Amino acid sequence: MTPMNEPNDRLDDILKNALRRQEAPDGFAERLMARAAQQHSTPEPIHRDSWLRFLTQPLVRWAALAAVAASMVLGVHVYQVRRERAEGEAAKERLMIALHIAGAKLQLARSKVNEIRTDQSTNHQVKE
Amino acid sequence: MAERIPAEQSPETLRTDVSETDFAEIVRRHQSMVFSIAHHFLADRSAAEELAQDVFLQLHANLLTLKSEDHTKFWLRKVTAHRCIDYKRRRKPTQLSFDDTPEPVAAVKSTDLFLARRLRELVASLPEKPRLVVILRYQEDMSAEDIANILAMPLATVKSHLQRSLAMLREKVTRTIGEVTI
Repeated sequence: MTPMNEPNDRLDDILKNALRRQEAPDGFAERLMARAAQQHSTPEPIHRDSWLRFLTQPLVRWAALAAVAASMVLGVHVYQVRRERAEGEAAKERLMIALHIAGAKLQLARSKVNEIRTDQSTNHQVKE
Repeated sequence: MAERIPAEQSPETLRTDVSETDFAEIVRRHQSMVFSIAHHFLADRSAAEELAQDVFLQLHANLLTLKSEDHTKFWLRKVTAHRCIDYKRRRKPTQLSFDDTPEPVAAVKSTDLFLARRLRELVASLPEKPRLVVILRYQEDMSAEDIANILAMPLATVKSHLQRSLAMLREKVTRTIGEVTI
């Protein structure tokens, strides 16, 4: 049979032949088993399923719910305490500013009084 | 042994049944399939062996979840296919090297040997998904439906990949070989 006369579906046959399974390299299985044994001998990480099983137990579920509720209550309490403290700090700051202003005004008044007194005593001496 | 893993057994029951000997038997039975898919896809023997070993190590870790021989075969094809794509995406393209590939043992004409080698190179140069479709179709003799299941791809896409790839292969081989009509 000459190539020119070959049927059109010959590509299928040649592809099947070209892509036939090949033998794995020599010693493939031995190398693999050695690696598998090595992997097997290393400590296994805790299996995810066992965690899932643990977490789905009723007692654990109730404990988790209680822990979440307690955390929420604690969180609200901490928030309130912090808010009260912040309000106290702000009030203290406002009081300090007010005292500072009042102090400054008193100082100004005192200096004015001193000035008037000095002027009066000077005038008295001049008259004499 | 895979036959010892009945479909209805629970994983807890399977745990005691699957031994290293069973795993070795599964490897012996399927190593050629896994290695060949990887080799035809990657066109690199050592990379194909590395990938095939990784697939079997993953199987070793998941052995208890496999329910039957068919399930094992499906799992191996699926994982190999996806690992091939991942491997190719992680690494830079390499020179195709089918030169060290042993030729089929059956008596074939020299023209066919040449065509087969050229076709392997052309298949390895196809885009990733069409390449896998062609490999699963012709190496594993799988139907388009089964390929669609393995690759999680619509059936129409698989058929389209197959048709386009075959048209391209036919054209390229004809252009290369010249006088040979295929």
